[in-house]
Amino acid sequence: MPANDTIHRRIEAVWRIEAPRLIASLTRMLRDLGLAEEMAQDALVAALETWPMQGMPDRPGAWLMTTAKRRAIDTLRRNALATRKVEQLGHETDLLQSDDTGMDPDDDIGDDLLRLVFTACHPVLPPDARVALTLRVLGGLSTPEIARAFLVPEATVAQRIVRAKRTLAEKQVPFEVPHGAELAPRLASVLEVVYLIFNEGYAATSGSDWMRPALCEQALRLGRVLVSLAPFEPEAHGLLALMELQASRFAARIDTHGEPVLLAEQDRARWDAARIRRGLAALAQAEKLGGAEGMYALQAALAACHARAAHYDVTDWPRIAALYARLANVVDSPVVELNRAVAVSMAQGPQAGLAMLDALNDEPRLAGYHLLPSVRGDLLQKLGRIDEARVAFEHAASLAGNQRERELLVRRATACVQHAS
Amino acid sequence: MAYMLTILEPHGQRAERTLEQGRDLYERMVAFGTDLHARGVLLAVEALKSDTEGRRLKVRDGRRTIVDGPFTEAREMIGGFFLIDVASRDEALAIAAECPAAHWATIEVRETGACYE
Repeated sequence: MPANDTIHRRIEAVWRIEAPRLIASLTRMLRDLGLAEEMAQDALVAALETWPMQGMPDRPGAWLMTTAKRRAIDTLRRNALATRKVEQLGHETDLLQSDDTGMDPDDDIGDDLLRLVFTACHPVLPPDARVALTLRVLGGLSTPEIARAFLVPEATVAQRIVRAKRTLAEKQVPFEVPHGAELAPRLASVLEVVYLIFNEGYAATSGSDWMRPALCEQALRLGRVLVSLAPFEPEAHGLLALMELQASRFAARIDTHGEPVLLAEQDRARWDAARIRRGLAALAQAEKLGGAEGMYALQAALAACHARAAHYDVTDWPRIAALYARLANVVDSPVVELNRAVAVSMAQGPQAGLAMLDALNDEPRLAGYHLLPSVRGDLLQKLGRIDEARVAFEHAASLAGNQRERELLVRRATACVQHAS
Repeated sequence: MAYMLTILEPHGQRAERTLEQGRDLYERMVAFGTDLHARGVLLAVEALKSDTEGRRLKVRDGRRTIVDGPFTEAREMIGGFFLIDVASRDEALAIAAECPAAHWATIEVRETGACYE
């Protein structure tokens, strides 16, 4: 008999793998995502109670489905008795018919999963609720796990999920894949949620908490779900490409002391070649489908420029600058312009980059953004305009929100003073 | 993390099946692969033909030797593989347990990575 924590770990693994399709099938049957998720959770609790005693069933997924369906039928029966809804009782008979194996042979798990993705990412929900609900129903993550991953209190996540379920029920959001004119904006909402999840995990530089890297794994899996279920959507491939290429640098981003390593200094031998291959293949697919100018495909193409360069010195900066110019056409963000200025300075020299920065000086959305004066200081320093560089670094340090960055900027300002004297 | 699920079949097992039985099992494996794909965990999958037409090649001291299949000295034959991306070995094992071939063959679960470690 394996030890109890081994069994629990195995049950958790089964849960992560099975939860999405369990909840997807139950939602289709019950027409209520909130109720479906509760029934699935009940089945998990039942598994945690019985499996350690009786051992794992041969087909854990089917066991969970049968258990969840029985609970659903009980609930429906109680509701039907309370409200005497005849139509609900008819619905219950349908449920019972496919109850013996737990799996309905007519289930198309792909269709149900796709419906579930679109429902959990419905624009009627605020973005943070979409993220929490998606991780819960499609990632099989528990509320405490989501809370740890996003560094917010458990109660906050629990509340977001409860509210999200209530909103979906109140607004009677149908369990379906949108079509026609509705599809594009709804797909954009789904991709946004997946990318938010990825970035939350990617932004975490300290490897101490495994939950945050696990977010990237979740996002990649969701990205693959989208690509497999919507294979003709170029931006789904573009997003997957972007995530694979970013994730390829994981191992190289942190040194042995846990300190972040900048792109220029990363040991490229530690980049994950298999991820790069998959990322480049997904990018090629996005472009083949006519999506080369998509927001995610362009960002993936930028990441691909770095992935293809064997050394930092051979980075194709003119191409990167050109890609940022194209990205600026689809994303209205001054940060894109700032990045383009950096790329231009690398391609054509600091003077050209500085000219572009000047154009951004009056951009209200960059007011208070420390990277603008920080980049300016960097370019001024390269041009030998040390006094101006010091002022820029000091300004940047006063704006930086992160202590480590502030210290770095203060050091750079001090270095300018020493250089001048 | 990427894991390779390798299907190790008892050598000669395929010959014991009728064509219909063989096709039926193959279809179940294809359905399993489709399912993994829809759930976002599948990176690659292939079934392999029997090793009857297989070749084993090695180069030693500049000399190349080729051995023709079937490799009957081996008790098992690699029948195919699934390359999956999951968060942990437990998840890889949970998926291996669902594989139809687990009932007639052995599923070897291995993590991908540098081969000198």
